[in-house]
Amino acid sequence: MIAAHNTSYLSRIKPGWKFGSLLVLSIALYMITSWQVLLVAFVLSVFLLASARVPMKFLRGPLISITIILGVVFILLGIQTDWLNALRSVLRLLTMCLLAYSVSLTTRFSEMLELFQQVASPLRYVGGNPDQIALALSMTIRFIPELKKVYIEVREAQHARGLANNPLAVTVPLVVRSLKIADETAEALDARGYDSAPTRR
Amino acid sequence: MPAATIRHRHGASFTPITPLLLLSLGKSMTSSTSTSQTKNTVYIAVFAAMIAAMGLLPPITLGIIPVPITLQTLGVMLAGALLGPWRGAMASLVVVVLALAGLPLLAGGRGGFGVFLGPTGGYLLGWILGSLIIGALFKYWVLRITGKTAQFFAGLLSVIAGGIGGIYLCGVPWTAMVTGLDLGTSLLGSAAFLPGDLFKAVVTTLVALTVHRSYRGLMK
Repeated sequence: MIAAHNTSYLSRIKPGWKFGSLLVLSIALYMITSWQVLLVAFVLSVFLLASARVPMKFLRGPLISITIILGVVFILLGIQTDWLNALRSVLRLLTMCLLAYSVSLTTRFSEMLELFQQVASPLRYVGGNPDQIALALSMTIRFIPELKKVYIEVREAQHARGLANNPLAVTVPLVVRSLKIADETAEALDARGYDSAPTRR
Repeated sequence: MPAATIRHRHGASFTPITPLLLLSLGKSMTSSTSTSQTKNTVYIAVFAAMIAAMGLLPPITLGIIPVPITLQTLGVMLAGALLGPWRGAMASLVVVVLALAGLPLLAGGRGGFGVFLGPTGGYLLGWILGSLIIGALFKYWVLRITGKTAQFFAGLLSVIAGGIGGIYLCGVPWTAMVTGLDLGTSLLGSAAFLPGDLFKAVVTTLVALTVHRSYRGLMK
């Protein structure tokens, strides 16, 4: 769900505006109770997503999963209450998800992280440390492929011992090796004089 | 993304050995707080990455349980049980933030704001509460018990309270609120995942207690 190379007009709008309007629209959708208006909103959200020119391969997975979930919800709600109510609920959710996809898929990941950092920056006044948060976020991204590799290595090693289906034999070494990686990285950061005290601005 | 700033405290790299030793001694005495803070940040990042990596792996099917098990909540439970309440909750929070920002980290390659607004968004918030509860119970109760069997059952109870109770406490009402279903139906829907979650709770307890035995002082 990342905007790889989206060049549509939506990608040029500032992320703060996009998320702000997504929030306002979601609240507004909960206020609307007429199914005709919700249907119009749904059609509009389909056009919005189509105008973002997102490649279909990014949309197929999420659309299939949301359709399955909402299908179940529709049937359950229809049996429990009435079918009009079920239609309202499902239209509202579908509209919201399509709007959210249009925002997510036209915003670059780096823009999104910057927005989060701006949102988190008031934490400085209550004793939080936005620099540490930024460090944790970027380090996590760097560690994901490494930990996936460790998991596969451990799994293969235990497979050779006939223990591949024993969750304990796989998880304990995975956790211990992750802790070792963490200790080594923390030592390396300290050795390079990384200063984790909050910066005064 | 803006890179975290790295500031050098001592620039000289070719210092004679004795002053260097003195320097490092002085450093370890004065800056113990910043060292532990860096360590906390790294631990949070590594466990967040573990939760994410577990979501990227294909789900496991066990013969006895009909629903395939994704390992992601195993990571959430482990983060709480091994790192304690504060760092465990931060590790879950980091994964949630990265997933909301658009990385496809959630099981099945999902991510982005749509997941949060959809019917299952509450379970994501529940991760943070879940690892917080598990961490608190482990830190202040489970790890102070001396008997091995008593410790196992206390640990299992804590993981169930946080990893199932805490997560469902956020997820079930969220589904009910977003879809308009009543709470009972919403709860019934999540019951399909209960056997898998119980299995993960047992694994988490055994793993956490084993690791705590060999890695003492993980939660100070």
